[in-house]
Amino acid sequence: MKNDIAIKVENVSKKYCKTLKRSMLYGISDISRNLIGLGSRPGMLRRDEFWGVDDISFELEKGQVLGLIGPNGAGKTTVLKLMNGIFWPDKGRITLKGRIGALIEVGAGFHPMLTGRENIYLNASILGMTKKETDRKFDEIVEFSGIADFLDTPVKFYSSGMFVRLGFSVAVHSEPDILLVDEVLAVGDSAFRAKCYKRIGEILPGSAVVLVSHNMVNISRLCENTIVLEGGRAVFHGETDLAIDRYHSLLKTAGEEPRGIFTCPSMNSFSCRVLNRDVNYGDNLKIELSFDSSEDIRTGLCLMAVSEADVYVGQTDFSEAFKEIKRGKNRFILEAGPACLRKGEYEVTITVLDVSKKQTIVHAVNCDEFVLRGPRGYGVEYQIPYIKIY
Amino acid sequence: MTRERRTMEERIVTYEPDNSLKSGYLSIFAEIFRELARNRWLTYQLFKRNFLALYKQSFIGVFWAVILPLISVGTFIILNRSGIFSLGHMKVPYAIYAVLGLAFWQIFATGILASANSLVQAGPMITKINFSKKSLVIASAGQALISFAVQIILVLVLFVLYRFVPDVRILLIPLMIVPIVLLTLGLGLILSLLNGVFRDIGNALSMVITFFMFLTPVLYAEPSAGVLAVITRYNPLYYLVAAPRELVLTGAVVHWKGFLASSIFSLAVFTACILAFHLTETRVAERI
Repeated sequence: MKNDIAIKVENVSKKYCKTLKRSMLYGISDISRNLIGLGSRPGMLRRDEFWGVDDISFELEKGQVLGLIGPNGAGKTTVLKLMNGIFWPDKGRITLKGRIGALIEVGAGFHPMLTGRENIYLNASILGMTKKETDRKFDEIVEFSGIADFLDTPVKFYSSGMFVRLGFSVAVHSEPDILLVDEVLAVGDSAFRAKCYKRIGEILPGSAVVLVSHNMVNISRLCENTIVLEGGRAVFHGETDLAIDRYHSLLKTAGEEPRGIFTCPSMNSFSCRVLNRDVNYGDNLKIELSFDSSEDIRTGLCLMAVSEADVYVGQTDFSEAFKEIKRGKNRFILEAGPACLRKGEYEVTITVLDVSKKQTIVHAVNCDEFVLRGPRGYGVEYQIPYIKIY
Repeated sequence: MTRERRTMEERIVTYEPDNSLKSGYLSIFAEIFRELARNRWLTYQLFKRNFLALYKQSFIGVFWAVILPLISVGTFIILNRSGIFSLGHMKVPYAIYAVLGLAFWQIFATGILASANSLVQAGPMITKINFSKKSLVIASAGQALISFAVQIILVLVLFVLYRFVPDVRILLIPLMIVPIVLLTLGLGLILSLLNGVFRDIGNALSMVITFFMFLTPVLYAEPSAGVLAVITRYNPLYYLVAAPRELVLTGAVVHWKGFLASSIFSLAVFTACILAFHLTETRVAERI
């Protein structure tokens, strides 16, 4: 193994069984075969079995972050579990160098009845830390989690946010050489998420990180290279930006995004059109709203949300400018921008609530789309300021 | 199973299908031993967790361990006094005989029940974190030793009440319970795995153990004739319970041959079971 390579995954496959009773039988037959010194014939599929992960290979050096993306059930978590040694691969080989830290589920080792302090020691030991290490890191863990006041409270009285913060805090302080992260960064408030990214950045130079996420913003922010999984196979492995494109096209072919326009009874023939469907990076978006209304309505909250392959990207709040709907024909042009988004294809959703915010006047989901051209690169969750309505 | 090799500074781990088979049985024992040694702290933490979780939200806490023997022994005394059945002849006060016997017996009973359910109870943890599952099973079985310690206190109280002076060899108890502990751990390991695949094991277990308790002369004297006498003669559990009890009460072990044979049997069971567990533990993680 080359010196700086931390993870080497060679042609790894893993099979799963669809039915529970068969799974029990296969389990017992595998166990018995192993016990009498026979191989469990892992390479072949029995009835009702399928490859959950199929022929995956990659290498990762220290200091690198690899993204794993793909639709639900593509095998992302299974790959992480295989690397963590929770399951054995049925084919191929995984070689890992150094201590492995896995954030597959934060706080999985917590016991609700024990206090925060007791759980820190317990969880640290489950993650492979020694007593000495835990003693040394204890203050740091508490400080990072921000739950110092509740250290001697049983964890079952914690809010879910506190629970997750404590769990994450213990896990990132185990100083892993290899860190496997599964979608856990989606939790916690934004301040804590920022702290987590900072912490991952700190341990990064000395470790290799594999990150599973459905949040393309996180993936593009952290990973140089990304693997796209579909049905257990790697359908793409390369630059993150191209991987995200591939992922989105996968989602597109898998099924159209839901579309639907809901309006309240007093509103008729609502239409929403993006006027400039080809937008350059930094340009303004122009959206035309037209409808007939049978009464005057005072509006409350008005939002335009932008999503990419059904993943929310950003929004603009134009409530200030769009305060009333007059009886009769209405036509507005909403201009918002600058659209500093990653290049790609976006959908527009319009939501208008009445002033009491108790009734939806319009909810037009994915009512139109536009293409953003321009630099590849990092997008961020973005508040698109509205400019004007005329 | 993992093949590990210490390099200059970092551990290299390899995961492959069936790779434990490639390394040979002798090195497996070394591997098991290393794993147990490396995870002592983890085992202790898990033990502490089980202990705290069991007794924290309870007023009398660990003294629950006293209630069970008092009730069983009380029932037997009532049954005996009303002439429903005979407890057999014994030289020592019955309460002492029975409570002491139960203390040794429950190492087996409590230990097996706790360890057999340990993997299933920890289910989500096992499928999300990779840690030593042996530590988990051993830590769960450790519960039995806490109950044992509490019940020994009860026995000491009975000694005072009945003005009974035990033999000084009572100090050998820690040594005398080693075989029953090994047998419990061995069976507990393998049952926890099987329970992971078939939940039937956990459901049937407490029934089977109660049945065994009535089959083994724990609460009554050794039968001298009949089917029960034959079963008792070949029942390793009887020797594992009776020998330490005889030692405490009389200072001598009448059935020392049986005890020796049972000890060897226990060691063999333990060795075979921990080996089987080591070879197959990750197989169960994927079925749990």
